[in-house]
Amino acid sequence: MAFALWPEYTIVLGIFATMLAIMIGSRERTIVGYWLALAALVASAIVTTVDWSSRVLPVSLFHQGVTVDAFSLVVDGLVLLAAVGALLIGWNDRRYGTDFPILLLVALLGMMVLGMANNFIVLFLGIELLSLPLYILAASHSPGVSGEAGLKYLLLGAFSSGILLFGLALLYGSSGTMVFTQLDPATMILPLAGAGLALTVVGLVFKLGIVPFHMWVPDVYEGSPMPVTTYMAFGTKVGAAAILLRFLFFGFSLSVDWWGPAIGYLAVLTMIVGNLLALAQKDLKRLLAYSGIANAGYVLVGIASHNMSGARALLFYLLVYGLAILAAFAILTFVAGERDSVSLNDLTGLVYRSPWLAAFLTIAMLSLAGIPLTGGFVGKFYLLQAAIYAGQPGLAIGLVVGAMVGLAAYVRPLQRAFAKPSGSESIEPIRWPIAGAIVLIVCVAGTIGLGVYPGPVVHIVNHSAAFYWLK
Amino acid sequence: MFLVWLLAVPLAGAIVTLIAPNAAAKGIAAITSILGLIGYAGLLFIDRAGVNWSWIPAWGVRFHLVGDGLSLFLLGLAAVMFAAAIFASDQGAGRSYYFWMLLLEFSVVGLFSAVDLFVFYVFWEVLLIPVFFLLTGWSGEKGKKAAMKWLVMNLVGSFFMLVGIVALAVIHHQDGGAFTFEINKLSGMVLGPAVGSWLFFAFLVAFAIKAPLWPLHGWMPDAYGESPAPVTAVISGVLSKAGIYGMLRVMIPIFMPQFREYQMPLLIVAAIGLIYGAASALRQRDMKMVTAYGSLSHMSMMALGVFSLTAVGLLGTTFYMVAHGLMIGALFLVLGMLENRTGRRSLDDMAGLNHSAPRLAAYFLFFVLGALGLPGLPGFAGEYMIIQGLVTSHVVFAVIAGFVLVVAAWYMLRVFQAVMQGPAPTTGIKDLVAGQVAWLVPLAGLVILIGVWPAGITSHAVPSLYQAMHFAAAKGGVR
Repeated sequence: MAFALWPEYTIVLGIFATMLAIMIGSRERTIVGYWLALAALVASAIVTTVDWSSRVLPVSLFHQGVTVDAFSLVVDGLVLLAAVGALLIGWNDRRYGTDFPILLLVALLGMMVLGMANNFIVLFLGIELLSLPLYILAASHSPGVSGEAGLKYLLLGAFSSGILLFGLALLYGSSGTMVFTQLDPATMILPLAGAGLALTVVGLVFKLGIVPFHMWVPDVYEGSPMPVTTYMAFGTKVGAAAILLRFLFFGFSLSVDWWGPAIGYLAVLTMIVGNLLALAQKDLKRLLAYSGIANAGYVLVGIASHNMSGARALLFYLLVYGLAILAAFAILTFVAGERDSVSLNDLTGLVYRSPWLAAFLTIAMLSLAGIPLTGGFVGKFYLLQAAIYAGQPGLAIGLVVGAMVGLAAYVRPLQRAFAKPSGSESIEPIRWPIAGAIVLIVCVAGTIGLGVYPGPVVHIVNHSAAFYWLK
Repeated sequence: MFLVWLLAVPLAGAIVTLIAPNAAAKGIAAITSILGLIGYAGLLFIDRAGVNWSWIPAWGVRFHLVGDGLSLFLLGLAAVMFAAAIFASDQGAGRSYYFWMLLLEFSVVGLFSAVDLFVFYVFWEVLLIPVFFLLTGWSGEKGKKAAMKWLVMNLVGSFFMLVGIVALAVIHHQDGGAFTFEINKLSGMVLGPAVGSWLFFAFLVAFAIKAPLWPLHGWMPDAYGESPAPVTAVISGVLSKAGIYGMLRVMIPIFMPQFREYQMPLLIVAAIGLIYGAASALRQRDMKMVTAYGSLSHMSMMALGVFSLTAVGLLGTTFYMVAHGLMIGALFLVLGMLENRTGRRSLDDMAGLNHSAPRLAAYFLFFVLGALGLPGLPGFAGEYMIIQGLVTSHVVFAVIAGFVLVVAAWYMLRVFQAVMQGPAPTTGIKDLVAGQVAWLVPLAGLVILIGVWPAGITSHAVPSLYQAMHFAAAKGGVR
């Protein structure tokens, strides 16, 4: 059944094709690389869809190294969306040269591997495959701020990989197996296994950007080029959330007492602290970085609930979060133009410069805040259901308290955008690059569509996260 | 299908306004509001059928709207007040102002007709956003602060209500029922004492903040004081009713045992609010703030009617909501005209305006008398029924309410006296123009109509109210 890995094979083919095209073609014709990468992404998305719709049973490959099931295919779909979005947002910006599409595809492969990993080695492989290209991309812009961001990301990322590897080694030592589904908490050597589990979880939530392991996120997001930040804000989080869910639900489902409360506390802490810090930001990239931290906290609610609704809500939430964050970053890219950062002041009077952009920004921000008739509300509603089904009202309260603070943070840019300009701001109309405009319009339409008629997508995620051993 | 019309017309109008030129915005909004009134006439006289469509099958969410006796006249109130507010709005307010106004009407209509808690919540929260932007963009200096206060305070309430809604559905499901958000299905549940109390207060706080009721009225002074008159009119006339309506629609059927348990403290808090509002209204020197605090006192009166837990008290509240909405909304619009003409709001700066503007003075007096509960005007019938309900449940609160009614006459008439009577000032003001009379006359006519014929509303409200209380009666009952 090697057929199951076709989405990944397509991406590998795409990587080689893009590399070859660049070696053969001249340096100026970087556009070919972009088109080839886009073609690979689209082809992979088609294969993923076909595989999802025809898949009945999960398939295990490489001696239970990976499990291809509906869940992993939905994760594939999400990270493909992130990659297409980031590629199109960076389409007109040739400053990154051809490295951008290639590294984007390699990191994508890492994310896809994370979605189906069922083995410590594959887990680590996925994490590194995801991280290494992003270290380069984060620093790809210029030697200045971007270089600093790349170095910070590299050092802290390497540190977290070390912790993760140590944790995995301890787990292997205490259990004698590397396969998630063969882990049996009853036979493990306890202190060793506990320490291993804790270290592994710390290594993974570091990638997800969970408080108190979030310090790197705002700096790296702020320093990285806009499309790379977009990619990290969506794709990395999908990959990290997927592997955390796989690892805990498949490997440690029986010993939920060990990790459930800890993940719950981390989730509540992250939702509240992330949104509170977002409230204090003046730079929009940093604001969205803290928003990403807070949203990772929401995602953790799905894991802490440890039930089927939780896994489904996690998938749904990642989708609506991704659509909103892609739309927000597309708008930032338009407003920023040649620059790489946007402050709150740059938005003042946006509605007079470009009413549609202001309207779209409103929709994206309200979705992140979880206001009804946007996808964000349905996502939060789903997570609330999961938390209450799990009998954890504390999680539910934490979620709504976080959402309250979050809304206050997200309406601040909107208040600026709808304010009358004082006269000192730029008033020239904003250019809409066509590739970015496609991303923006599709994401805004998707956000509204998921808010107004979420039924079909709810149906899809309900069929994609059917882990029979959970409630 | 007229209910769908009523819901869809403002939304369509809002979208058209957004893409139309600025100059045409008010015209489009006015036409939209007239179409809304026609739709309402159809709903009232031709076909009251609601809709019940599947929305999110996996969660049992149904797009279920009804135009029953509880909501029918509040929908009418919304259609009328929004029309009046749009006619009274500034021509130059720009298209986004009318966009938010119509979006607000859309969410209010949805809120007043939804009987599925998910749908109810969707409209409940969507409603916050237009008001937020109206307060941000078209208010006085402190508008931004007022908007933030409005948003944050209302969110605190509504997010806890969201937890309550999900918890109700999940508990219903775990008890072996279907996964549903329909109020009339959830109303059969028996909740444990602790869970019941928590959920009860989650809903109560949300509704009390929206109304607002003392001591949760923190957002009110800024929002009422800073917003332009048409926005104040729809907030005080229509949106404030959402809180009381929520208690009748959602809480009475589901939480009757909890209401019984906490009846005494709730009555005491509402009575304090009643007195506090009236006393603050007496202290204020700003005519808009007098009316705002007077309205706070009236909202507590409605809450007393609900907390009396008697059929006649609930009926009185249902009626008083409509009556109060019409009169207080109209009063704020008239105050707005005065403010436009004089540029002032303080009672100390104005006197004798009736010499130069007799027609404006007449309408002002009319709505003031309505607000203080003159027999023959609708406020009286509502207050009478509420007091009757209080007499049968706890007579001491009836005495307090009767006393506060006297104070109400005092603070309302004080405003009229200070502004209109006295020696004629050196510079007069312009009297009403024909365009303003055109919408004030039907408004006043409507007030007289329901004032002399309250049965027109109560006879429709009784069956729905009994239905709501029937659910409650199964679990402890209403006297």
